[in-house]
Amino acid sequence: MKTATLNQTDIGKCLDLLLQSEFRVIAPQLRPRLESPDAIDVMMLTQIDSGENHAVGQGVLPLNGVKEFLFVKDEPLFAFENKGKKVLMTEVHHDYPKTVIFGVRPCDAASVSSQNAVFSKANAGFEDPFFTKRLENTTIVTYSCTNPDMSCFCTSVGLAPDSDRGSDLHLTEIPGNRLQVEPKTPAGEIVAKILEPLFQWPGEPQARTQAGKEAQDKITRIRNSHLIKGWLDELSNFDDELWERLGEKCIGCGACTFMCPTCHCFDIVDENRGGKGYRIKFWDSCQFDHFTLHASGHNPRDSQYKRYRNRFSCKFKIYLDKFDAQGCVGCGRCIRDCPVNLDITEYMKEVDLKASLPNALQRDPDFE
Amino acid sequence: MIEAIRTQAHNLLENKEIDVVIGYGNGSDPTRTTPVFIRKPEEVNRLIFDPRCINSLPVYLNKRQGYPKKGWKRVGIIGKGCDIRAITQLIAENQLSRDEVYIFGVPCDGVVSHFSKWDGSLRDDNRATKCSECDVHIPNDCDFFPGERPEVDRSGPYKVSAPQVLNLFNLKTDKRFKFWEKEFERCFKCYACREVCPHCSCNICITDRTTPNWIDQAPHTKGVFGWHLTRALHLVGRCTGCGECTRACPVDIQVDLFNQRMKDVVQGSFGYKSGYSETEKPPLITYMTDDSENFIQ
Ligand code: SF4
Ligand code: SF4
Ligand code: SF4
Ligand code: SF4
Repeated sequence: MKTATLNQTDIGKCLDLLLQSEFRVIAPQLRPRLESPDAIDVMMLTQIDSGENHAVGQGVLPLNGVKEFLFVKDEPLFAFENKGKKVLMTEVHHDYPKTVIFGVRPCDAASVSSQNAVFSKANAGFEDPFFTKRLENTTIVTYSCTNPDMSCFCTSVGLAPDSDRGSDLHLTEIPGNRLQVEPKTPAGEIVAKILEPLFQWPGEPQARTQAGKEAQDKITRIRNSHLIKGWLDELSNFDDELWERLGEKCIGCGACTFMCPTCHCFDIVDENRGGKGYRIKFWDSCQFDHFTLHASGHNPRDSQYKRYRNRFSCKFKIYLDKFDAQGCVGCGRCIRDCPVNLDITEYMKEVDLKASLPNALQRDPDFE
Repeated sequence: MIEAIRTQAHNLLENKEIDVVIGYGNGSDPTRTTPVFIRKPEEVNRLIFDPRCINSLPVYLNKRQGYPKKGWKRVGIIGKGCDIRAITQLIAENQLSRDEVYIFGVPCDGVVSHFSKWDGSLRDDNRATKCSECDVHIPNDCDFFPGERPEVDRSGPYKVSAPQVLNLFNLKTDKRFKFWEKEFERCFKCYACREVCPHCSCNICITDRTTPNWIDQAPHTKGVFGWHLTRALHLVGRCTGCGECTRACPVDIQVDLFNQRMKDVVQGSFGYKSGYSETEKPPLITYMTDDSENFIQ
């Protein structure tokens, strides 16, 4: 597919063109800062109605990922009503607007394929039509990172600040305040067609490769992840001492899972008011104490460190075994947002260390 | 200062007078610290204290968080003045008894409001709001204090309210409602604000109950308002203003503005300041048979 370049200052115009073409446009925006020293600047992916106030390409990564636009935080599955002895069930109308998410960071774009592996037919034939229909109507315009922060670790999980996995149209900053534009899929081509009046030809693939390399060099959190899966596969490591040692400070707040772009667990409840209501699906978290609570009162994950063990194993084993997809995309949100600084890359480091040691040493109880 | 604490912690751990010290250690990034549990005397050098030590550690004294962990009979804990107020409050609410804890008080000039704002110095633009009018820079009750501890008069009201509390309160009701409606759009009910709170101590939170479903669990407008209003009311006269709920909220909703407002109301109506007395009961969890109002009969 043909590549082109675009002036960075024309991003607002791009957004306007997309809005004129009747897309729902979602782009990063800076939320006005509250007048308090406790407030931090917050950039969030938000639905916009004009190209004026965007923060595409600014900062590191929006607080929220693209998750909430595909796997919505709460949605009714159907409505029900008691009619005498029968229950009447009716469909609930959902909108699946044609959407462009503009300025998505590469880790977030990669997370979409992980979520898709859970919610599409690929997952043992079970499809979540709400998710797949939304995804079908969504085009993802990615924007390579130039300023990874100290929590970013995409390069440790096989991605990079300029990776284009999951991207429909990929943008990378190149010298001269310009962007290299690369359509990646037919959906990306459609969007490129709309933006074409703003393009210059030819593209500059070499400058783009160079820019990617420079960003990659800025990443400081580097871990080995290739031994983790094998170590987790070893059943006896399920009771390894590291789980409790590293995990005992976890307070089970769930921030890591809610912010994580690949975490996908949900709960379903009936909201019943006087015999009618909705069955609602909404985000849940494996870090909650009642997540695995059985009706009998037994809880197989009866302490917090076991819940974090599950979270870590989900990212580096369960996702691979069950969904044949990548569990962690290295966005670093769980590190930034954890109130007690429980750090997934500390687990990665320790597991890698354990996995690379000879067995005899591993079994030595005095080894630290 | 920390040297004296380390020495004392070392001695107490060695003599088995305490089983653990809950304190602060260096975090995984230079701008962060992390809670640490020191069980062996030789590990005391991991303890640190500086303006990055923002966490309210008494959350680990809350039964909801698995307190006491196995082998913990007496727990040492590093406490800034505000943390010790949280401990005092836990004691006042019978969640903890004073002899279960050994408090290492630390003098504190304030902590940074968010780790991303730490650049090596504490200033007015990165100090947490709760620290600006704090009256417990020198802690009020502790078992060990490094150095001399001057007596401080704490008879005045407990101030510490973000300027926004008043700004918000001066808004017309519908405007105030709009403000919260907008803020709450982001809430997805992760309950970080609950888990991090030293005083959210119910074993099963009312929001987690589904039979009956008191509060809608889904994070739609109703479910979110239901949660926050309940949370605010359940903490009336109990919140000690640590600000952890706001700090922990991953989508930066200033939920403690509710609690700060409630604090002012409780002080105004009942003359009660939470976290200053181990014996005085918070007004909303006690009653008098000769109450002038008759709703109690
Ligand atoms: S586990 Fe953490 S770093 Fe990995 S994708 Fe989830 S939030 Fe990002
Ligand atoms: S790891 Fe951190 S963010 Fe995740 S549940 Fe535990 S305390 Fe919360
Ligand atoms: S921490 Fe924030 S997002 Fe989570 S429930 Fe509380 S207010 Fe909502
Ligand atoms: S400020 Fe928030 S976390 Fe702290 S005691 Fe009050 S309600 Fe709980």
